[in-house]
Order: sequence, then structure tokens, then C-alpha cells
Amino acid sequence: MTGQIIAAVIGTIAFSVVFIVPAKYYLYCGLIGGAGWAVLSLSMNSLGEGLSTMLAAMTVLFLSRLTAVIKRCPATIFLVAGILPLVPGVGVYKTAYYAAAGELGRAAATGYIALKDSIAIVLGIALVFEIPQKLFNGIGRPLTKRVEDHD
Amino acid sequence: MSEIRVDARGTECPESDEAVMELAISAGRVLLENGAEIFRAEDTVRRIYTHYGVTTGREFVLTNGVFVSAGSTHEDMFARVESISQFDINMEKITAVNELSRDIEDGRYTVREAMQKLESIKKLKGKSLPAVILASGAGSAAFCYILDSTLADGICAFAAGSAVYAFILFADRIRMSKLVRNVIGAIIVTVISWLLYMTGVGAHLNPMIIGSIMPLIPGVAFTNAIRDIADGNYLSGTVRLLDAVIIFTAIAIGVSMGLMLINRISGVIPV
Repeated sequence: MTGQIIAAVIGTIAFSVVFIVPAKYYLYCGLIGGAGWAVLSLSMNSLGEGLSTMLAAMTVLFLSRLTAVIKRCPATIFLVAGILPLVPGVGVYKTAYYAAAGELGRAAATGYIALKDSIAIVLGIALVFEIPQKLFNGIGRPLTKRVEDHD
Repeated sequence: MSEIRVDARGTECPESDEAVMELAISAGRVLLENGAEIFRAEDTVRRIYTHYGVTTGREFVLTNGVFVSAGSTHEDMFARVESISQFDINMEKITAVNELSRDIEDGRYTVREAMQKLESIKKLKGKSLPAVILASGAGSAAFCYILDSTLADGICAFAAGSAVYAFILFADRIRMSKLVRNVIGAIIVTVISWLLYMTGVGAHLNPMIIGSIMPLIPGVAFTNAIRDIADGNYLSGTVRLLDAVIIFTAIAIGVSMGLMLINRISGVIPV
């Protein structure tokens, strides 16, 4: 469990290097990606796959927007790598696997789960986007020197 | 040109409307080229011309084009279209343009200085090829390890993930279509993972493949699509969503093709 969260942090940092995020933000990217994975794996048993993925996506975007206010930079730079641990790579792979094996019923079933998880990510992100910028400025203001309405 | 304009801080702004609009559209272009959302490009373009006092400025931004115009019966007319064909994810440039637009609003730049700054942002080097390739491998290894696998599997994913990113960079250089690029990329991942599995280096094939396809996953297109649609930019959002869906499909097709190829060679589909 701890090992997996550390792997999520390292993986997110690695992909923030690929996306050429400025080096001073690597650690924040990693922690946000790790937080997303932690929320996903901790809530998986009680909430099920869809809801826990949504909750994890909400966590990632919330932390991205908050960090963006505190560090005065675009939220996107934390989001693009931070969301990667939640992307249903397993679902895409299994769908392809069953399709190759000729088991179309199982391919359709896993494809449906992958789609459901993607929609959960979409909903989670869309919901947190709706939170007014003022709220993030309000939380972030005590933690930064100068704040503007410009996430 | 009529009377002398003043910027938002009341300072005289001797540069022409054209220079201001050129600066604004160039900033918008740099943002889009490097993977920013539509709203950010629009917002930045608007902030820049508004700050420098071009009251008649207007902008329209799509995923692959920026349109600006200015002018009225009292001012000179100006219009420009920038269309973008080459995209390259670079968060450093987005951050830098964002910072520039704030500094412009704080009155720290004349139009000419801002243009020079923008030119220097365009020339930012990014990371060296080996660094990006190795990072991609490390990311693949980490996302393989996450799926209840071993360190040895992670090392295999590192090899496959690095190889596939090297291939992506090559494919982009020769302008290979994204569809073909991702199908071939996924085949490469599947075959390399299988070879490492067969030689006994890695013990779990599935996590190895899943980890190593991560460099192909269209994370930026996907998150930008969601954000654009959430902002009501349905046209651009749909284009990006389609982009992401096509890439996901291409990856799935590539993996299937790789597995079927393995099946032909070895007679079984490995589990």
C-alpha cells in the first residue's frame, strides 16, 4: 500500500518531466498524483470503482487548483500528470486482451468499465472546476505572498 | 491612428494597435501549441490587448487556430489569423506565458519588451532527449509496480516504456499520423514486454504492458477536453475528446495486434 503510493508519486513526477513541467513544481505534481492514488485505493472497497475514481479525480483537481493559487502558476501543470494514476490503463488493456482472445463478451464488459471510469474522472474534474476561484484564493491567500484572480 | 492611447495604468502607450494585437495573438499561439486550454489562451489574449488599451480588440480561439481583430470607424482596422499544425506538450512555456501576462498587467513591460520576452519563451529548450526518454521509462516502471507486481517487472516496464517514447519522438519527427503512431507504439510495448517475459526477466506480463503504455496515454488531450467542455467550449472540447478517444482506441488496437502476433508465433496468448 505504502509502496504503491510511493510508486504513484514517482510515476507522476516522471511524467511531469516528460510534460516539461518546471523542475521547481515536480514535488507538488508527485504529491498530488500520490494523493489521487491514495484516495482511489483507500475508498475502492467501500465506494466501488466508479465513485472512488470520481472522488480521486476531485481530490487531484482540488489540490491542483489550490497549489496553483499558492504557487501562482497554472493549475494545468499539476493536473496533466497528477491525473495519470487514475487513467483506466488496466481497462483499456483488458479490453484489448479479451478482444485479441476472441472473447467479445468479456471485452465489451471490461470496455464498459473503462468507459465508466473515464466518465467518473470527467465528472470529478467538471465538478471541482465549478468551485469558484474565490474559494481557492481564500484558502490559499494566507499561504502565499500575493494572490490574483488568475489560476 | 487617432489620439495617443493609454494603458490600464494610465501610462502612455506609444506602440501601435497592430503591435499590441501581434503580441496578444503570439502569446495565444504559444499557449495553444504547448497544450494549454482554450479559456487560458482566450483569457491571456484579452488581458494583453485590454491592458495596452486596445478597446476594440476581439479574439476567437479554437484548438488549432487563434483569430484576433481590432478597429472601428475611429481606429485602424486590424485582423490576423494564426493556425497551428504542430503541437508539443511543454508546461514550462505555458507557465512562462502565464507569468508574462501577469507581469504585463502589473505594468512591468512595454509592448516591445513583452514581445522580446515572448520570443525568448518560444526558444526555451525544454529537456534533453535522453532525460525525457528515461523519465518516460521511470514513469512506466512506477505505474507497472503500482499494479501489484515486482521490482523486476518494473525494470522490464522501464525498458519498454523508454523504447516506446524513443519511438514516439522519432514518429513525431517524421510527422507520422497519431493513429498509426499509437498503434505501432502499442505493438512495440506488447512485443518488448512479451520478450522480457519469455526470457524470464519479468514475471507478470499484464502489469508490464499496462505500465509501458502509459507514455502513449493522451493525458493532456483528455484533461483539456474535459476542461474545455466544462467551460462551454464544446467545439474545441469535442475535437480534443475525439483526439483522446482515437488515441485510446489506437492503443487498444495496437495491444490486440501485438497479442495476436505473439499468438501466431508462440501458439498461445500469454496470461
